[in-house]
Amino acid sequence: MHLLKKKQPRGWDNQLILQLMILPALLTLLIFSYLPMFGIVIAFKDYNVLDGLFGGRWIGFDHFREMFGDERFHTALRNTLGMSFIKLVITFLAPVLFALILNEIPLARFKKWTQTLTTLPHFLSYVIIATLTMIFLDPKGIINGILQGLGITSQPIEFLSEPSHFWSLAASLDLWQETGWGAIIYLAAITGINTEIYEAAKVDGAGRLRTIWHINLPAIRGTIMVLLILNIGSIIYGGSNFNQSYLLGNVFNRDTSYVLGYYTLDNGLLQMRYAFATAVDLFQSCVSLILLLAANWGAKKLNGSNIF
Amino acid sequence: MNAIKLTWEDKAVNIAAVLLSLIMVIATAYPLYYVLINSLNDGADAASGHIYFYPRQFSLENYSMVFKQNYLITGLAMSAARTIVGTVAAVLVTAMAAYALTKENLKFKKLYLALAIVTMYFSGGLIPLYFVLNELHLLNNFLVYILPSLFTFFHCLLFMAFFRELPKELYESAYMDGANDLFIFFKIVIPLSMPVVATISLFVGVNHWNDYFVPSFFISKESLQTLPVILIRLLSLSEAQQQIQQYLGNHQSKVTMESLRYATLFVSILPITLLYPLVQRFFVKGMLVGSIKA
Repeated sequence: MHLLKKKQPRGWDNQLILQLMILPALLTLLIFSYLPMFGIVIAFKDYNVLDGLFGGRWIGFDHFREMFGDERFHTALRNTLGMSFIKLVITFLAPVLFALILNEIPLARFKKWTQTLTTLPHFLSYVIIATLTMIFLDPKGIINGILQGLGITSQPIEFLSEPSHFWSLAASLDLWQETGWGAIIYLAAITGINTEIYEAAKVDGAGRLRTIWHINLPAIRGTIMVLLILNIGSIIYGGSNFNQSYLLGNVFNRDTSYVLGYYTLDNGLLQMRYAFATAVDLFQSCVSLILLLAANWGAKKLNGSNIF
Repeated sequence: MNAIKLTWEDKAVNIAAVLLSLIMVIATAYPLYYVLINSLNDGADAASGHIYFYPRQFSLENYSMVFKQNYLITGLAMSAARTIVGTVAAVLVTAMAAYALTKENLKFKKLYLALAIVTMYFSGGLIPLYFVLNELHLLNNFLVYILPSLFTFFHCLLFMAFFRELPKELYESAYMDGANDLFIFFKIVIPLSMPVVATISLFVGVNHWNDYFVPSFFISKESLQTLPVILIRLLSLSEAQQQIQQYLGNHQSKVTMESLRYATLFVSILPITLLYPLVQRFFVKGMLVGSIKA
């Protein structure tokens, strides 16, 4: 009669414990993610505080019509897409390149230090990055000092008040902040490559550059694809766009620094046009979903790597 | 590395890799170093500029001033409080949920996962969230820092990936001894999952420490403001800045607005700089398991 219980207890008391373990997370999702979704209805309403969420007149797509006719919305949309696109090209490829470079460093200790140090900016607050930017790119700052010292420019460059510089500045900041962090995942994939493949390549007489091209790069192709899809999905939000727009935007560079995230905030929390701002947010959410699905579908068509 | 003679191609690649990496290292480290040396320099002296490599007139005055400013202290304390409480709570909630989700016999598992996945790609947006926070009386409440960020699905996925890797035999014997899942989670799983716990703690903690959005827009009480908001004020010409200016004026000190800014900057950079290398060796492993599985 000594039957060993091989199976886990599937009693309801144990089920209760499991359900209790997931409960706090579930409540968080329901309250802070799902409850707000009901608030989306006000995007289609003539909302005012007295009527509350469920009062107010339905006005269909009026807010969206107003939005598409708004000059500032056009500016914000143009800047969002422009900045995101530049970042997608530059800051997406830089980590790949950096990972390939890191992998070729012959000195193990130096390699580790480089990795540690270049990953650090990813963890810095954007407030700090914005402050550093202002200090370094000031007309009397160190960068202008170097440029003039080397005779590259005769006048100080107004990085932060000249609108034509803002997009490239935004992309450069992303490059500074995220290259090291982005390289981690690629480097891990390259490190995982079986050494026998390298031996075989060596026997065949392949040099270092050919090895990089024919072994290292193919090894990370899948990872590149997946990350690319996820990045395309976030074009309309653009990770650092809001931070840059809010912290580095000013009266002078407004034309090129004003983005959708700021537009929502501006209309919603600053001007109290709640319903209108909700409509803007909804527009962003829908576009990002469509982009994500489209990118995923495209990737599937191209080479069968997809994330869903 | 085998002791084979290096070809000239090898040498060229080696040199190029080291040089390019050096450029990256300098570009990353120098701005932070610049902040440090300027914060350690006498304020009045620093005003004449040209401090590039080491402090010209060494002084700790700026730092003592940072710790004399009442609202800098409050901000620092509030940042620390929110980071510690928020991180412990979020890691606990997320890890427990992840553990439950890796159990085959959890009921409604598919539903829970579907609910979580949707939130990764779709949200109500800023204003509806603002309404919910308002209804729950979370605006101007310390809990607004903690509650909304208790659960992040991406972190949950990393936990799940790690828990699945743990050998099944671990639980088997515990189950036989009649242990329940809560006991197993706290006594067996968590102690074995330090790499992933450290990784997620770092991610969550950094988010809390760096966040300026929540205190800027959901908090108006002075006593609840955190360090990033104070840094923003030091940046812009606001009342706070004039306040400090007056304070400095009355005290005949050699601290300037500039040098105070450098010191505050460094105080906010330091904790991350110290903690992050300790956790780093874990998180490459933690991330890897997650990225392969997720």
